[in-house]
Amino acid sequence: MFKDATLVLGYELRGLLRNPIWPLFGILQPILYLAFFAPLLGSTVPGGSDQEVLAMFTPGMMLMIALFGSMFAGFSVMNDTRNGVLERLVVSQIWRPAIILGRVLKDAVALVIQAAIIIAISIALGLRVTLLAALLMLGLMALTGLLAGSFSYALALSIRDENAMSQIVQFLAMPLTLIAGLFLPVSLGPGWLGTIAQFNPLYYAVEAGRSLFRGDLGATTIPLAFAIFVVLCALTLIWSVRSLRRLGT
Amino acid sequence: MIIEAHELRKTFVSGRGKGNEVEAVRGIDLEVADGEVFAVLGPNGAGKTTTVRMLATFTPPTSGRALVNGFDIVKQADKVRASIGYVSQSGGVDDLAPAIENLMLAGRIAGMSKAQAKARAEELMEIFALGEIGNRPARTLSGGQKRRFAVAIGLVAAPPLIFLDEPTTGLDPQNRANLWEEVRKLRAQGTSVLLTTHYLDEADALCDRLVIVDHGRIVAEGTPEALKKEVAGDVVTVKVADRIEQARALLSAEPYVREVVQEDDLLRAYLDDGERGLPSVLRALDRDGLVIQSITLSRATLDDVFLKHTGRSLRDAA
Repeated sequence: MFKDATLVLGYELRGLLRNPIWPLFGILQPILYLAFFAPLLGSTVPGGSDQEVLAMFTPGMMLMIALFGSMFAGFSVMNDTRNGVLERLVVSQIWRPAIILGRVLKDAVALVIQAAIIIAISIALGLRVTLLAALLMLGLMALTGLLAGSFSYALALSIRDENAMSQIVQFLAMPLTLIAGLFLPVSLGPGWLGTIAQFNPLYYAVEAGRSLFRGDLGATTIPLAFAIFVVLCALTLIWSVRSLRRLGT
Repeated sequence: MIIEAHELRKTFVSGRGKGNEVEAVRGIDLEVADGEVFAVLGPNGAGKTTTVRMLATFTPPTSGRALVNGFDIVKQADKVRASIGYVSQSGGVDDLAPAIENLMLAGRIAGMSKAQAKARAEELMEIFALGEIGNRPARTLSGGQKRRFAVAIGLVAAPPLIFLDEPTTGLDPQNRANLWEEVRKLRAQGTSVLLTTHYLDEADALCDRLVIVDHGRIVAEGTPEALKKEVAGDVVTVKVADRIEQARALLSAEPYVREVVQEDDLLRAYLDDGERGLPSVLRALDRDGLVIQSITLSRATLDDVFLKHTGRSLRDAA
Protein backbone atom coordinates (compact mmCIF):
# COMPACT_ATOMS: atom_id res chain seq x y z
CA MET A 1 0.00 0.00 0.00
CA PHE A 2 2.32 2.72 1.23
CA LYS A 3 5.04 1.23 -0.93
CA ASP A 4 2.96 2.35 -3.91
CA ALA A 5 2.82 5.87 -2.50
CA THR A 6 6.61 5.94 -2.20
CA LEU A 7 6.88 4.68 -5.79
CA VAL A 8 4.70 7.50 -7.06
CA LEU A 9 6.53 9.97 -4.81
CA GLY A 10 9.88 8.82 -6.20
CA TYR A 11 8.60 9.11 -9.77
CA GLU A 12 7.25 12.62 -9.11
CA LEU A 13 10.40 13.77 -7.31
CA ARG A 14 12.55 12.62 -10.23
CA GLY A 15 10.26 14.75 -12.39
CA LEU A 16 10.84 17.70 -10.07
CA LEU A 17 14.60 17.19 -10.23
CA ARG A 18 14.49 17.23 -14.01
CA ASN A 19 13.02 20.72 -13.85
CA PRO A 20 14.13 22.22 -10.52
CA ILE A 21 13.78 25.77 -11.78
CA TRP A 22 10.03 26.29 -11.55
CA PRO A 23 9.57 26.02 -7.77
CA LEU A 24 12.20 28.73 -7.40
CA PHE A 25 9.94 31.16 -9.21
CA GLY A 26 7.33 30.43 -6.57
CA ILE A 27 9.45 31.83 -3.75
CA LEU A 28 10.40 34.99 -5.56
CA GLN A 29 7.18 36.71 -4.58
CA PRO A 30 7.47 36.14 -0.81
CA ILE A 31 11.13 37.13 -0.93
CA LEU A 32 10.21 40.43 -2.59
CA TYR A 33 7.61 41.01 0.14
CA LEU A 34 10.18 40.27 2.84
CA ALA A 35 12.68 42.64 1.30
CA PHE A 36 10.43 45.54 0.31
CA PHE A 37 7.21 45.29 2.31
CA ALA A 38 8.37 44.06 5.73
CA PRO A 39 10.44 47.23 6.35
CA LEU A 40 7.23 49.28 6.14
CA LEU A 41 5.70 47.40 9.04
CA GLY A 42 7.89 48.74 11.85
CA SER A 43 5.18 51.01 13.21
CA THR A 44 2.45 48.31 13.26
CA VAL A 45 4.28 45.79 15.42
CA PRO A 46 4.78 46.24 19.18
CA GLY A 47 8.45 46.93 19.74
CA GLY A 48 8.98 47.44 16.03
CA SER A 49 12.44 45.86 15.79
CA ASP A 50 13.48 43.90 12.70
CA GLN A 51 13.30 40.70 14.74
CA GLU A 52 9.72 41.39 15.84
CA VAL A 53 8.55 42.46 12.41
CA LEU A 54 10.05 39.39 10.75
CA ALA A 55 8.64 37.02 13.40
CA MET A 56 5.20 38.41 12.59
CA PHE A 57 5.61 38.66 8.84
CA THR A 58 7.62 35.57 7.80
CA PRO A 59 4.98 32.92 8.68
CA GLY A 60 2.44 34.70 6.49
CA MET A 61 4.84 34.77 3.56
CA MET A 62 5.57 31.07 3.96
CA LEU A 63 1.88 30.25 3.93
CA MET A 64 1.46 32.41 0.86
CA ILE A 65 3.59 30.00 -1.19
CA ALA A 66 1.69 27.09 0.33
CA LEU A 67 -1.52 28.62 -0.89
CA PHE A 68 -0.43 29.87 -4.29
CA GLY A 69 1.89 26.96 -5.06
CA SER A 70 -0.13 23.98 -3.96
CA MET A 71 -3.59 25.25 -4.83
CA PHE A 72 -2.60 25.10 -8.48
CA ALA A 73 -1.15 21.58 -8.23
CA GLY A 74 -4.40 20.18 -9.60
CA PHE A 75 -3.61 21.45 -13.08
CA SER A 76 -1.00 18.72 -13.48
CA VAL A 77 -3.51 16.02 -12.64
CA MET A 78 -6.01 17.47 -15.08
CA ASN A 79 -3.48 16.97 -17.83
CA ASP A 80 -3.11 13.36 -16.68
CA THR A 81 -6.84 12.75 -17.04
CA ARG A 82 -6.56 13.83 -20.66
CA ASN A 83 -3.44 11.96 -21.70
CA GLY A 84 -4.73 8.74 -20.15
CA VAL A 85 -2.09 8.44 -17.41
CA LEU A 86 -4.68 8.38 -14.62
CA GLU A 87 -6.91 6.01 -16.56
CA ARG A 88 -4.00 3.61 -16.85
CA LEU A 89 -2.96 3.94 -13.20
CA VAL A 90 -6.49 3.47 -11.92
CA VAL A 91 -6.82 0.07 -13.64
CA SER A 92 -3.32 -1.02 -12.63
CA GLN A 93 -2.58 -2.93 -9.45
CA ILE A 94 -1.75 0.26 -7.59
CA TRP A 95 -3.30 1.07 -4.22
CA ARG A 96 -5.48 3.93 -5.48
CA PRO A 97 -4.87 6.50 -2.72
CA ALA A 98 -1.15 6.22 -3.61
CA ILE A 99 -1.86 8.00 -6.90
CA ILE A 100 -2.89 11.12 -4.97
CA LEU A 101 -0.73 10.61 -1.90
CA GLY A 102 2.49 10.28 -3.92
CA ARG A 103 1.73 13.54 -5.71
CA VAL A 104 0.77 15.59 -2.66
CA LEU A 105 3.83 14.29 -0.80
CA LYS A 106 5.94 15.58 -3.67
CA ASP A 107 4.21 18.94 -3.39
CA ALA A 108 4.83 18.92 0.37
CA VAL A 109 8.53 18.14 -0.13
CA ALA A 110 8.86 20.99 -2.62
CA LEU A 111 7.04 23.32 -0.26
CA VAL A 112 9.20 22.44 2.74
CA ILE A 113 12.33 23.17 0.70
CA GLN A 114 10.89 26.51 -0.43
CA ALA A 115 9.90 27.31 3.16
CA ALA A 116 13.37 26.45 4.45
CA ILE A 117 14.86 28.87 1.94
CA ILE A 118 12.51 31.61 3.13
CA ILE A 119 13.42 30.97 6.78
CA ALA A 120 17.09 31.17 5.85
CA ILE A 121 16.53 34.50 4.10
CA SER A 122 14.55 35.87 7.05
CA ILE A 123 17.35 34.83 9.38
CA ALA A 124 19.78 36.67 7.15
CA LEU A 125 17.51 39.74 7.43
CA GLY A 126 17.54 39.54 11.21
CA LEU A 127 15.01 36.92 12.34
CA ARG A 128 15.97 34.83 15.37
CA VAL A 129 14.20 31.48 15.83
CA THR A 130 15.07 28.29 17.70
CA LEU A 131 15.73 25.15 15.67
CA LEU A 132 12.69 23.47 17.22
CA ALA A 133 10.40 26.35 16.22
CA ALA A 134 11.78 26.30 12.69
CA LEU A 135 11.28 22.54 12.39
CA LEU A 136 7.74 22.73 13.74
CA MET A 137 7.02 25.49 11.26
CA LEU A 138 8.32 23.30 8.43
CA GLY A 139 6.07 20.49 9.69
CA LEU A 140 3.13 22.86 9.60
CA MET A 141 4.12 23.88 6.07
CA ALA A 142 4.18 20.24 5.01
CA LEU A 143 0.66 19.77 6.37
CA THR A 144 -0.52 22.95 4.65
CA GLY A 145 0.96 21.67 1.42
CA LEU A 146 -0.77 18.31 1.82
CA LEU A 147 -4.07 20.02 2.51
CA ALA A 148 -3.89 22.57 -0.31
CA GLY A 149 -2.51 19.95 -2.70
CA SER A 150 -5.13 17.27 -2.06
CA PHE A 151 -7.84 19.95 -2.11
CA SER A 152 -6.56 21.09 -5.48
CA TYR A 153 -6.38 17.53 -6.86
CA ALA A 154 -9.87 16.76 -5.60
CA LEU A 155 -11.21 19.93 -7.17
CA ALA A 156 -9.42 19.27 -10.45
CA LEU A 157 -10.66 15.69 -10.63
CA SER A 158 -14.19 16.77 -9.83
CA ILE A 159 -14.54 19.59 -12.33
CA ARG A 160 -11.98 18.59 -15.01
CA ASP A 161 -12.05 22.00 -16.67
CA GLU A 162 -8.95 24.20 -16.64
CA ASN A 163 -10.84 27.46 -17.02
CA ALA A 164 -13.28 26.73 -14.22
CA MET A 165 -10.42 25.48 -12.08
CA SER A 166 -8.36 28.62 -12.45
CA GLN A 167 -11.40 30.82 -11.73
CA ILE A 168 -12.31 28.86 -8.61
CA VAL A 169 -8.77 28.84 -7.24
CA GLN A 170 -8.40 32.59 -7.80
CA PHE A 171 -11.79 33.14 -6.24
CA LEU A 172 -10.78 31.18 -3.13
CA ALA A 173 -7.21 32.40 -2.81
CA MET A 174 -8.00 36.07 -2.34
CA PRO A 175 -10.41 35.85 0.63
CA LEU A 176 -8.37 33.04 2.19
CA THR A 177 -5.33 35.32 2.11
CA LEU A 178 -7.09 38.41 3.44
CA ILE A 179 -9.13 36.73 6.13
CA ALA A 180 -6.18 34.73 7.44
CA GLY A 181 -4.26 37.87 8.28
CA LEU A 182 -1.42 36.78 6.07
CA PHE A 183 0.12 40.27 5.98
CA LEU A 184 -0.98 41.64 9.35
CA PRO A 185 -2.60 39.82 12.29
CA VAL A 186 -6.40 39.99 12.17
CA SER A 187 -6.30 40.89 15.88
CA LEU A 188 -5.33 44.39 14.76
CA GLY A 189 -8.74 44.72 13.12
CA PRO A 190 -12.30 44.85 14.41
CA GLY A 191 -13.83 41.90 16.24
CA TRP A 192 -15.97 40.69 13.34
CA LEU A 193 -12.88 40.09 11.24
CA GLY A 194 -11.50 37.77 13.91
CA THR A 195 -14.83 35.95 14.02
CA ILE A 196 -14.83 35.28 10.28
CA ALA A 197 -11.18 34.28 10.37
CA GLN A 198 -12.03 31.38 12.67
CA PHE A 199 -13.65 29.65 9.70
CA ASN A 200 -10.49 29.89 7.65
CA PRO A 201 -8.03 27.03 8.24
CA LEU A 202 -5.18 29.18 7.03
CA TYR A 203 -5.78 31.58 9.94
CA TYR A 204 -4.80 28.90 12.44
CA ALA A 205 -1.63 28.12 10.54
CA VAL A 206 -0.60 31.79 10.45
CA GLU A 207 -1.36 32.26 14.14
CA ALA A 208 0.56 29.10 15.06
CA GLY A 209 3.46 30.24 12.87
CA ARG A 210 3.59 33.60 14.65
CA SER A 211 3.54 31.93 18.08
CA LEU A 212 6.40 29.68 16.98
CA PHE A 213 8.50 32.51 15.59
CA ARG A 214 7.82 34.63 18.66
CA GLY A 215 9.33 31.79 20.67
CA ASP A 216 6.03 31.10 22.44
CA LEU A 217 6.14 27.32 21.99
CA GLY A 218 3.53 26.69 24.67
CA ALA A 219 0.80 28.64 22.83
CA THR A 220 -2.44 26.71 22.28
CA THR A 221 -2.57 27.99 18.70
CA ILE A 222 0.17 25.49 17.81
CA PRO A 223 -1.47 22.14 18.75
CA LEU A 224 -4.78 23.56 17.52
CA ALA A 225 -3.37 24.29 14.06
CA PHE A 226 -1.76 20.85 13.82
CA ALA A 227 -4.98 19.12 14.90
CA ILE A 228 -7.13 21.08 12.43
CA PHE A 229 -4.74 20.45 9.57
CA VAL A 230 -4.41 16.73 10.22
CA VAL A 231 -8.20 16.35 10.18
CA LEU A 232 -8.65 18.51 7.07
CA CYS A 233 -5.84 16.67 5.27
CA ALA A 234 -7.56 13.36 5.93
CA LEU A 235 -10.89 14.71 4.67
CA THR A 236 -9.51 16.25 1.48
CA LEU A 237 -7.50 13.10 0.74
CA ILE A 238 -10.66 11.03 1.04
CA TRP A 239 -12.44 13.48 -1.24
CA SER A 240 -9.69 13.33 -3.85
CA VAL A 241 -9.57 9.53 -3.85
CA ARG A 242 -13.36 9.47 -4.27
CA SER A 243 -13.10 11.83 -7.24
CA LEU A 244 -10.52 9.49 -8.69
CA ARG A 245 -12.99 6.64 -8.45
CA ARG A 246 -15.60 8.70 -10.28
CA LEU A 247 -13.32 9.28 -13.27
CA GLY A 248 -14.80 6.36 -15.17
CA THR A 249 -18.43 7.15 -14.47
CA MET B 1 -12.71 -18.14 -21.76
CA ILE B 2 -10.60 -15.10 -20.98
CA ILE B 3 -13.66 -12.82 -21.22
CA GLU B 4 -17.29 -13.69 -20.64
CA ALA B 5 -19.75 -10.82 -20.57
CA HIS B 6 -23.50 -11.04 -20.21
CA GLU B 7 -25.93 -8.20 -20.86
CA LEU B 8 -23.42 -5.47 -20.03
CA ARG B 9 -25.05 -2.08 -19.95
CA LYS B 10 -23.86 1.42 -19.23
CA THR B 11 -26.03 4.48 -18.95
CA PHE B 12 -24.25 7.76 -18.31
CA VAL B 13 -26.12 10.49 -16.51
CA SER B 14 -24.76 13.93 -17.24
CA GLY B 15 -26.02 16.83 -15.22
CA ARG B 16 -29.27 16.59 -13.36
CA GLY B 17 -32.77 15.56 -14.21
CA LYS B 18 -34.17 13.41 -16.95
CA GLY B 19 -33.26 13.69 -20.59
CA ASN B 20 -29.57 13.75 -19.77
CA GLU B 21 -29.13 10.02 -19.90
CA VAL B 22 -26.94 8.49 -22.55
CA GLU B 23 -27.24 4.77 -23.11
CA ALA B 24 -23.70 4.13 -24.26
CA VAL B 25 -23.88 0.34 -24.07
CA ARG B 26 -27.23 -1.43 -24.27
CA GLY B 27 -26.69 -5.08 -23.41
CA ILE B 28 -23.53 -6.62 -24.79
CA ASP B 29 -22.63 -10.31 -24.64
CA LEU B 30 -19.06 -11.34 -25.36
CA GLU B 31 -17.09 -14.54 -25.24
CA VAL B 32 -13.40 -14.32 -25.96
CA ALA B 33 -11.35 -17.52 -25.88
CA ASP B 34 -7.84 -17.76 -24.42
CA GLY B 35 -5.22 -16.72 -26.93
CA GLU B 36 -7.71 -15.14 -29.30
CA VAL B 37 -7.33 -11.78 -31.00
CA PHE B 38 -10.81 -10.36 -30.76
CA ALA B 39 -11.98 -7.13 -32.35
CA VAL B 40 -14.86 -4.84 -31.50
CA LEU B 41 -15.61 -3.04 -34.73
CA GLY B 42 -17.96 -0.11 -34.99
CA PRO B 43 -18.32 3.57 -35.80
CA ASN B 44 -17.39 6.33 -33.36
CA GLY B 45 -19.89 6.54 -30.54
CA ALA B 46 -20.97 2.90 -30.88
CA GLY B 47 -19.97 2.12 -27.29
CA LYS B 48 -16.64 0.41 -28.01
CA THR B 49 -14.57 2.42 -25.55
CA THR B 50 -17.20 2.18 -22.82
CA THR B 51 -17.30 -1.60 -23.27
CA VAL B 52 -13.53 -1.89 -22.94
CA ARG B 53 -13.49 0.46 -19.97
CA MET B 54 -16.06 -1.68 -18.19
CA LEU B 55 -14.10 -4.86 -18.86
CA ALA B 56 -10.90 -3.15 -17.68
CA THR B 57 -12.66 -2.10 -14.40
CA PHE B 58 -12.36 1.62 -15.17
CA THR B 59 -16.08 2.21 -15.61
CA PRO B 60 -18.53 0.31 -13.41
CA PRO B 61 -21.37 -1.23 -15.47
CA THR B 62 -24.91 -0.03 -14.83
CA SER B 63 -26.08 -3.64 -15.05
CA GLY B 64 -24.95 -7.00 -16.34
CA ARG B 65 -22.05 -9.23 -15.41
CA ALA B 66 -18.64 -9.98 -16.80
CA LEU B 67 -15.77 -12.27 -15.93
CA VAL B 68 -12.25 -11.43 -17.06
CA ASN B 69 -9.72 -14.22 -16.61
CA GLY B 70 -12.38 -15.86 -14.44
CA PHE B 71 -12.79 -12.89 -12.08
CA ASP B 72 -15.85 -10.70 -11.67
CA ILE B 73 -15.13 -7.19 -12.96
CA VAL B 74 -17.02 -5.58 -10.07
CA LYS B 75 -16.53 -7.85 -7.08
CA GLN B 76 -12.99 -8.99 -7.90
CA ALA B 77 -11.72 -5.88 -9.65
CA ASP B 78 -8.29 -6.23 -7.99
CA LYS B 79 -7.77 -9.66 -9.50
CA VAL B 80 -9.00 -8.48 -12.89
CA ARG B 81 -6.46 -5.62 -12.77
CA ALA B 82 -3.67 -8.10 -12.06
CA SER B 83 -4.69 -10.04 -15.19
CA ILE B 84 -4.82 -7.26 -17.76
CA GLY B 85 -2.84 -4.68 -19.62
CA TYR B 86 -4.87 -1.67 -20.71
CA VAL B 87 -3.86 0.74 -23.43
CA SER B 88 -6.40 3.53 -23.68
CA GLN B 89 -7.13 5.58 -26.75
CA SER B 90 -5.10 8.47 -25.37
CA GLY B 91 -2.19 6.14 -24.57
CA GLY B 92 -1.42 7.01 -20.98
CA VAL B 93 2.18 8.05 -21.54
CA ASP B 94 3.34 10.84 -19.24
CA ASP B 95 4.65 13.44 -21.68
CA LEU B 96 6.99 15.13 -19.26
CA ALA B 97 8.87 12.03 -18.14
CA PRO B 98 11.26 9.91 -20.16
CA ALA B 99 9.45 6.88 -21.49
CA ILE B 100 11.67 4.50 -19.52
CA GLU B 101 10.40 6.12 -16.30
CA ASN B 102 6.83 5.34 -17.35
CA LEU B 103 7.79 1.73 -18.03
CA MET B 104 9.67 1.30 -14.78
CA LEU B 105 6.91 2.78 -12.64
CA ALA B 106 4.42 0.42 -14.27
CA GLY B 107 6.73 -2.50 -13.51
CA ARG B 108 7.24 -1.49 -9.88
CA ILE B 109 3.50 -1.09 -9.38
CA ALA B 110 3.06 -4.62 -10.73
CA GLY B 111 5.33 -5.81 -7.93
CA MET B 112 8.73 -6.01 -9.60
CA SER B 113 11.95 -5.07 -7.84
CA LYS B 114 13.90 -2.13 -9.19
CA ALA B 115 16.30 -4.43 -11.03
CA GLN B 116 13.48 -6.53 -12.46
CA ALA B 117 11.57 -3.44 -13.60
CA LYS B 118 14.68 -2.07 -15.29
CA ALA B 119 15.42 -5.36 -17.03
CA ARG B 120 11.79 -5.66 -18.21
CA ALA B 121 11.75 -2.03 -19.43
CA GLU B 122 14.93 -2.61 -21.42
CA GLU B 123 13.57 -5.86 -22.83
CA LEU B 124 10.38 -4.14 -24.01
CA MET B 125 12.26 -1.18 -25.47
CA GLU B 126 14.34 -3.69 -27.42
CA ILE B 127 11.23 -5.53 -28.68
CA PHE B 128 9.49 -2.33 -29.74
CA ALA B 129 12.66 -0.80 -31.24
CA LEU B 130 12.65 2.08 -28.78
CA GLY B 131 16.08 1.56 -27.22
CA GLU B 132 17.59 4.80 -28.49
CA ILE B 133 14.85 7.13 -27.36
CA GLY B 134 13.85 5.77 -23.95
CA ASN B 135 15.61 8.54 -22.09
CA ARG B 136 14.03 11.40 -24.02
CA PRO B 137 10.96 13.10 -22.60
CA ALA B 138 7.95 11.34 -24.11
CA ARG B 139 6.65 14.60 -25.59
CA THR B 140 9.53 14.61 -28.06
CA LEU B 141 8.52 11.24 -29.52
CA SER B 142 6.57 10.84 -32.75
CA GLY B 143 3.00 9.58 -32.71
CA GLY B 144 4.04 6.10 -33.77
CA GLN B 145 6.82 5.88 -31.20
CA LYS B 146 4.53 7.08 -28.46
CA ARG B 147 1.89 4.52 -29.38
CA ARG B 148 4.48 1.75 -29.32
CA PHE B 149 5.49 2.95 -25.88
CA ALA B 150 1.89 2.93 -24.72
CA VAL B 151 1.54 -0.68 -25.83
CA ALA B 152 4.86 -1.55 -24.18
CA ILE B 153 3.61 -0.07 -20.88
CA GLY B 154 0.50 -2.22 -21.15
CA LEU B 155 2.67 -5.31 -21.56
CA VAL B 156 5.06 -4.65 -18.68
CA ALA B 157 3.58 -7.26 -16.37
CA ALA B 158 3.19 -9.79 -19.23
CA PRO B 159 -0.57 -10.04 -18.63
CA PRO B 160 -2.60 -12.90 -20.15
CA LEU B 161 -4.96 -10.33 -21.69
CA ILE B 162 -4.35 -6.91 -23.18
CA PHE B 163 -6.95 -4.32 -24.16
CA LEU B 164 -6.04 -2.03 -27.05
CA ASP B 165 -8.54 0.76 -27.51
CA GLU B 166 -8.26 2.14 -31.07
CA PRO B 167 -4.56 1.27 -31.19
CA THR B 168 -3.88 2.62 -34.68
CA THR B 169 -6.09 5.70 -34.83
CA GLY B 170 -4.00 8.60 -36.07
CA LEU B 171 -1.06 6.46 -37.16
CA ASP B 172 0.39 6.56 -40.65
CA PRO B 173 0.24 3.35 -42.77
CA GLN B 174 3.82 2.37 -41.94
CA ASN B 175 3.26 2.62 -38.19
CA ARG B 176 -0.08 0.87 -38.49
CA ALA B 177 1.57 -2.05 -40.24
CA ASN B 178 4.23 -2.19 -37.52
CA LEU B 179 1.64 -2.27 -34.80
CA TRP B 180 -0.30 -5.02 -36.55
CA GLU B 181 2.92 -7.00 -36.58
CA GLU B 182 3.25 -6.55 -32.82
CA VAL B 183 -0.31 -7.74 -32.28
CA ARG B 184 0.40 -10.84 -34.37
CA LYS B 185 3.48 -11.51 -32.25
CA LEU B 186 1.34 -11.28 -29.13
CA ARG B 187 -1.01 -13.88 -30.52
CA ALA B 188 1.96 -16.12 -31.35
CA GLN B 189 2.99 -15.87 -27.69
CA GLY B 190 -0.48 -16.84 -26.53
CA THR B 191 -1.53 -13.42 -25.17
CA SER B 192 -5.23 -12.74 -25.64
CA VAL B 193 -5.99 -9.39 -27.24
CA LEU B 194 -9.21 -7.42 -27.29
CA LEU B 195 -8.94 -4.45 -29.61
CA THR B 196 -11.45 -1.89 -30.73
CA THR B 197 -11.28 -0.27 -34.11
CA HIS B 198 -13.34 1.60 -36.63
CA TYR B 199 -11.05 0.43 -39.44
CA LEU B 200 -12.57 -2.42 -41.44
CA ASP B 201 -9.28 -3.61 -42.86
CA GLU B 202 -7.76 -3.68 -39.40
CA ALA B 203 -10.44 -5.97 -38.00
CA ASP B 204 -10.27 -8.08 -41.14
CA ALA B 205 -6.49 -8.42 -41.15
CA LEU B 206 -5.87 -8.91 -37.45
CA CYS B 207 -8.61 -10.64 -35.59
CA ASP B 208 -9.68 -14.25 -35.20
CA ARG B 209 -13.21 -13.23 -34.36
CA LEU B 210 -15.07 -9.97 -34.03
CA VAL B 211 -18.29 -8.34 -33.06
CA ILE B 212 -19.73 -5.43 -34.95
CA VAL B 213 -21.35 -2.89 -32.65
CA ASP B 214 -23.67 -0.03 -33.44
CA HIS B 215 -25.58 2.22 -31.04
CA GLY B 216 -24.43 0.20 -28.05
CA ARG B 217 -25.57 -3.16 -29.37
CA ILE B 218 -23.92 -6.08 -31.12
CA VAL B 219 -25.28 -6.39 -34.64
CA ALA B 220 -23.12 -9.26 -35.87
CA GLU B 221 -20.59 -11.71 -34.51
CA GLY B 222 -18.25 -14.30 -35.98
CA THR B 223 -15.00 -14.79 -37.85
CA PRO B 224 -14.35 -12.22 -40.60
CA GLU B 225 -14.69 -14.96 -43.24
CA ALA B 226 -17.98 -16.29 -41.93
CA LEU B 227 -19.47 -12.82 -41.62
CA LYS B 228 -18.52 -11.87 -45.13
CA LYS B 229 -19.74 -15.18 -46.52
CA GLU B 230 -23.07 -14.53 -44.86
CA VAL B 231 -23.46 -11.45 -47.06
CA ALA B 232 -22.08 -12.93 -50.28
CA GLY B 233 -18.80 -13.80 -51.91
CA ASP B 234 -18.59 -10.79 -54.18
CA VAL B 235 -20.07 -7.39 -54.81
CA VAL B 236 -20.73 -5.71 -58.12
CA THR B 237 -21.00 -1.96 -57.65
CA VAL B 238 -22.77 -0.19 -60.48
CA LYS B 239 -23.37 3.46 -61.19
CA VAL B 240 -25.98 4.14 -63.86
CA ALA B 241 -26.53 7.46 -65.59
CA ASP B 242 -30.24 7.58 -64.69
CA ARG B 243 -33.24 5.32 -64.03
CA ILE B 244 -31.62 3.90 -60.90
CA GLU B 245 -34.90 2.36 -59.68
CA GLN B 246 -35.30 0.45 -62.91
CA ALA B 247 -31.74 -0.79 -62.71
CA ARG B 248 -32.31 -1.92 -59.18
CA ALA B 249 -35.43 -3.89 -60.06
CA LEU B 250 -33.66 -5.41 -63.02
CA LEU B 251 -30.72 -6.61 -60.98
CA SER B 252 -32.91 -7.91 -58.17
CA ALA B 253 -34.77 -10.05 -60.69
CA GLU B 254 -31.59 -11.86 -61.78
CA PRO B 255 -31.55 -15.31 -60.17
CA TYR B 256 -27.83 -15.34 -59.23
CA VAL B 257 -28.05 -11.98 -57.41
CA ARG B 258 -28.65 -12.45 -53.69
CA GLU B 259 -29.51 -8.92 -52.78
CA VAL B 260 -29.26 -5.39 -54.12
CA VAL B 261 -28.57 -2.49 -51.80
CA GLN B 262 -28.70 1.14 -52.82
CA GLU B 263 -26.16 3.50 -51.32
CA ASP B 264 -26.71 7.04 -52.59
CA ASP B 265 -26.31 6.81 -56.37
CA LEU B 266 -24.55 3.44 -56.25
CA LEU B 267 -26.13 0.01 -56.48
CA ARG B 268 -24.39 -2.86 -54.74
CA ALA B 269 -25.40 -6.29 -56.02
CA TYR B 270 -24.29 -9.21 -53.87
CA LEU B 271 -23.57 -12.47 -55.62
CA ASP B 272 -21.66 -15.60 -54.79
CA ASP B 273 -19.52 -15.90 -57.89
CA GLY B 274 -18.64 -12.48 -59.19
CA GLU B 275 -16.45 -13.54 -62.11
CA ARG B 276 -19.28 -15.56 -63.62
CA GLY B 277 -22.05 -13.15 -62.63
CA LEU B 278 -20.48 -9.94 -63.95
CA PRO B 279 -21.13 -10.60 -67.68
CA SER B 280 -24.77 -11.42 -66.89
CA VAL B 281 -25.12 -8.18 -64.93
CA LEU B 282 -23.73 -6.25 -67.89
CA ARG B 283 -26.03 -8.02 -70.32
CA ALA B 284 -29.10 -7.44 -68.17
CA LEU B 285 -28.44 -3.70 -67.89
CA ASP B 286 -27.56 -3.39 -71.56
CA ARG B 287 -30.73 -5.20 -72.62
CA ASP B 288 -32.85 -2.42 -71.20
CA GLY B 289 -30.62 0.29 -72.58
CA LEU B 290 -29.32 1.54 -69.22
CA VAL B 291 -26.11 3.54 -69.49
CA ILE B 292 -23.43 2.34 -67.10
CA GLN B 293 -21.13 5.08 -65.81
CA SER B 294 -18.95 2.79 -63.74
CA ILE B 295 -18.88 -0.80 -62.65
CA THR B 296 -16.52 -2.60 -60.28
CA LEU B 297 -16.26 -6.13 -59.03
CA SER B 298 -14.82 -6.68 -55.55
CA ARG B 299 -14.80 -9.16 -52.69
CA ALA B 300 -17.37 -8.52 -50.00
CA THR B 301 -15.83 -6.63 -47.05
CA LEU B 302 -16.83 -6.18 -43.44
CA ASP B 303 -18.35 -2.90 -44.53
CA ASP B 304 -20.88 -4.91 -46.54
CA VAL B 305 -21.63 -6.83 -43.35
CA PHE B 306 -22.11 -3.56 -41.51
CA LEU B 307 -24.27 -2.19 -44.33
CA LYS B 308 -26.43 -5.28 -44.30
CA HIS B 309 -27.08 -5.11 -40.56
CA THR B 310 -27.44 -1.37 -40.07
CA GLY B 311 -28.46 -0.04 -43.46
CA ARG B 312 -25.51 2.35 -43.36
CA SER B 313 -21.93 2.15 -44.52
CA LEU B 314 -19.38 2.24 -41.72
CA ARG B 315 -17.56 4.98 -43.62
CA ASP B 316 -20.66 7.18 -43.38
CA ALA B 317 -21.64 6.27 -39.84
CA ALA B 318 -19.98 8.94 -37.77
